[in-house]
Amino acid sequence: MTQKHIDQVKRSMYRRRIGKKSALTVIVYLIAFIYFFPILYMFLSGFKTEQQAVMPSLWFTPTLETYRKVLSDPTMYQYLRNSLFQVIAGTGVSMLLGVPAAFALVFGRLKHPNSNGKFYLWFITTILLPPVAVLIPLFTWFQQLNLINTPYGLMMAYIGFHTPIVVWMTHSFFSDLPGEIFEAAELDGCTRLQQLTRIAIPLARTGIFSAGLLVAVFIWNEFFLGFNLTGNPTATLPVYLARFREQQGMFVAQLSASSSIAILPAIILGWMTQKALVKGLTMGAVKG
Amino acid sequence: MKNQKTEYRYLMPAVVVVAIMTQVPFLLTIIFSTLRWNLSRPDLPRKFNGFANYLYFLKIDNLSQFPEFYSILWQTILITGITLLLCSVLGFLLALLLDHDIPGGNIARTLMLGPFFVMSTASGVIWKTTIFNTTFGWYGVIAKALGFTPVDLLSYHPLGVIIVLFTWQWMPFFILVLLAGLQGIPQDLVDSMRIDGVNWLQGIYKIKLPLIMNHMRVAVMLGLVFLIKEFGLILVTTAGGPGTRSYTLPYAVYMQVFSANNVGRAGALATMTVILTLILVNLLYRSIVKRSAQYS
Repeated sequence: MTQKHIDQVKRSMYRRRIGKKSALTVIVYLIAFIYFFPILYMFLSGFKTEQQAVMPSLWFTPTLETYRKVLSDPTMYQYLRNSLFQVIAGTGVSMLLGVPAAFALVFGRLKHPNSNGKFYLWFITTILLPPVAVLIPLFTWFQQLNLINTPYGLMMAYIGFHTPIVVWMTHSFFSDLPGEIFEAAELDGCTRLQQLTRIAIPLARTGIFSAGLLVAVFIWNEFFLGFNLTGNPTATLPVYLARFREQQGMFVAQLSASSSIAILPAIILGWMTQKALVKGLTMGAVKG
Repeated sequence: MKNQKTEYRYLMPAVVVVAIMTQVPFLLTIIFSTLRWNLSRPDLPRKFNGFANYLYFLKIDNLSQFPEFYSILWQTILITGITLLLCSVLGFLLALLLDHDIPGGNIARTLMLGPFFVMSTASGVIWKTTIFNTTFGWYGVIAKALGFTPVDLLSYHPLGVIIVLFTWQWMPFFILVLLAGLQGIPQDLVDSMRIDGVNWLQGIYKIKLPLIMNHMRVAVMLGLVFLIKEFGLILVTTAGGPGTRSYTLPYAVYMQVFSANNVGRAGALATMTVILTLILVNLLYRSIVKRSAQYS
């Protein structure tokens, strides 16, 4: 075989690789596009007028009229405000409770050497508990205490259900830190609180931050408790969307615009967490 | 010893709050499930009823007519099971596809991840009005263009619609986790696989799949835990209908509380939902552990 032949073979192999790669690329992008299409179409329909939105089409002249209409609706504001309150208060308190607890579980020495593992397992099993299992007592309590018409009842329920998730995720990020740092810090006279706030949290900050974002997304999207444990003045955005058809009627453009407002923050926050999501959720489970 | 007190001060607030908001109510639910307690009949005293509420759902009077509970149980298992199966098979295939080095592959992955973060009521409403609607949705328009008469999928195939939507929502999570697993397989293992002449199918089924079984386990377990309690999507798409054909256990609990006002029976259903969750988690955990492998 001469050099010419070898070059020819090399070139054809190269071409085949390129061909395979571009075919793969096209397939992947096609699937991704189809997969994302319902969301994309919803975004687009928000920029249509009601008449344009009746029949499905992708070509139209965009207008901001529908968004203006949706955003000037005071009820939408109320739902948005309730959702924001639940997300900020619920996530905030869950983090305040969950992060120190995870710290104590990873680095603390509890009475029995097994206690750490037992408490951790207990938190995990509460994640398994479906919300239907607590609905009835919570509903009767909240009615007796008249918490249905204040946001605090639902907030407490959210804290109870999301603190275990914070513990679970931050536990795996704290476990990554070398324990020796804390022993050394203790010898240097560092208190437990300083070890937590000055060493552990700054070192695991990206993980903790994404755990917070994920919990925020979960609370923002939560429907079952939000639907059953609130009255009209305290209901959240997912409830608004569920009631949209009976309250506003079949307005595709308006529905699309308000869903877009409800979905967009969660998708953006979610995209920001994707790496930590995998790590935080799989680490404990994949190793153990 | 002085430190020990601090540890408990960090741990206990979380434990107390979680216990009060989840475990105590759950214990109360179990207690309620043994009571005769109907909210719409305040004249009847609440009283201990033994297992009557459970028997109401479980008792089979004659074999030709099973009580409704069994079909609801079956629908719950069917929806969850088929969704998990579709998610793991399709999710694995797509993860294999995304594992290739593709220009801008991150963008494709990110787009596919989108549906996972969409609230279930929004995805239900959007699919129902813009896709599945027989006159104004894409499905109706495309079917007519191809010469079919579109049928109302929501009333003819309610379970199918729910399964499709759940799969749409949960497959991204499977892709994400399984892709992380595939990318964690060491490159020299893949190289030696090539040199040993393992063909494409063997490589995937006999080597890659067992190696990422732990990731599969995480994805399936979490999927199971979250799918079995799903409620919003069913409410906004089929509302359990037609009849009770797309009821799941959580939906049945909701109807028992707010429509039938029967706290005792709802408690019994809720308790059985928890038992079902625990049984399925256990079964799955065992069946998956068997097929896993480790690289060392």
